[in-house]
Amino acid sequence: MKATLAPPSSLISLPRHKVSSLRSPSLLLQSQRPSSALMTTTATRGSVAVTAAATSSAEALREGIAEFYNETSGLWEEIWGDHMHHGFYDPDSSVQLSDSGHREAQIRMIEESLRFAGVTEEEKKIKRVVDVGCGIGGSSRYIASKFGAECIGITLSPVQAKRANDLAAAQSLSHKVSFQVADALDQPFEDGIFDLVWSMESGEHMPDKAKFVKELVRVTAPGGRIIIVTWCHRNLSQGEESLQPWEQNLLDRICKTFYLPAWCSTSDYVELLQSLSLQDIKCADWSENVAPFWPAVIRTALTWKGLVSLLRSGMKSIKGALTMPLMIEGYKKGVIKFGIITCQKPL
Amino acid sequence: MRLITHNMLSCNIKGVTNGFPLKIEAEKVIEKEVDFNPDFLRHMFAKIEWKALVEAARSMGYAELPEDSPDAAAIDSADETFLRKLHHALLELHLEEGALVCPETGRKFPVNKATFWTHIDSVDQSGGSASMWTT
Repeated sequence: MKATLAPPSSLISLPRHKVSSLRSPSLLLQSQRPSSALMTTTATRGSVAVTAAATSSAEALREGIAEFYNETSGLWEEIWGDHMHHGFYDPDSSVQLSDSGHREAQIRMIEESLRFAGVTEEEKKIKRVVDVGCGIGGSSRYIASKFGAECIGITLSPVQAKRANDLAAAQSLSHKVSFQVADALDQPFEDGIFDLVWSMESGEHMPDKAKFVKELVRVTAPGGRIIIVTWCHRNLSQGEESLQPWEQNLLDRICKTFYLPAWCSTSDYVELLQSLSLQDIKCADWSENVAPFWPAVIRTALTWKGLVSLLRSGMKSIKGALTMPLMIEGYKKGVIKFGIITCQKPL
Repeated sequence: MRLITHNMLSCNIKGVTNGFPLKIEAEKVIEKEVDFNPDFLRHMFAKIEWKALVEAARSMGYAELPEDSPDAAAIDSADETFLRKLHHALLELHLEEGALVCPETGRKFPVNKATFWTHIDSVDQSGGSASMWTT
């Protein structure tokens, strides 16, 4: 594996910059979307005062995310299966993979993440797992089976939660794995109960990274591990306050379609974890290891089956598909990074 | 909702210091058979909040669990009768309809099977957010 690994078991010394870059208001969603109940009311009155009817932007974002995944999950599962995350590939692999090759790569992403975090050596200790932003539960079912552990997954999308529970039942895993609709920023769990806290490509959706990390830490058991795999923007250099305008512009266009409220860097996450006294904090840039993914997704979208499914699925899916080349552009230009950050809670 | 899940849940409305365990108001409880897996139960045992489980099982109509749990160390040699009771309470009882109640504020979270949509309050009277539960 040629991923650039940070030195293990030590805090990473990274360029310092203001943590306030995490919550720049300009990165929040511009459009305010009203809740559907309010929509009905204004429609019957014939009023189009949509912005006035909107509730808080946090609620609007949650609803946007829920609706996005309600609409697109079925389509994704049909074409790609039950793992809604990037595959992990050997860099420089130029061989065009088959569908099953990509699915294997998605499993490999889970395994590599567990290995990077040092979890695989401590299998026996993993009894209870939370999957934060669980999609249709691919990671949860895989991890629960692997460790014989109990796993609960949370998502904002009711369609995903139902599908995830149905798949668990179909695989006779219902006693070990269950899924609920809940907010990652406000997890309905007791403090310190999870041996493994798993966030696979959900961090991108969190509008408040500090709150997100605090919640992850809160529910981690003493001695437990946190694994965050997420899209980030590049680390800022010494003295740099923010990304270049063209970089910001690129990210903004992606944000709108995928309901991403804010981007931060890998080092922002590391700083947050440091501030909460986590230990054994490690991070890595796996951008090279995920490079084949978006081109593969685009290829599947352009097949006859893909196009028909997209058209059936709806506008959000179509917009999502049209935004994918921007992801490739972002990676190519070094703006977007695929990062992993792991740590352990002290005993 | 199974009791294995209930055992993890806590009310996190702002200002609540002790939102665990949620009390159960059971309106409809069903039993779904699950394959007995003693290894899984032994693996999980240390994580279970015993008193919460006993009380929750009672509110679901099952009073067979002992008040005091066996030692975590003793669980490896625990007899099958005990493990079967644990298995039944933890994994086979389902709260299909009813409510979970915050022990501190009395706030109720409906549980129902009819729809899988759960509503997340962004702002409630007490200024915090809370989720409702699906089976």
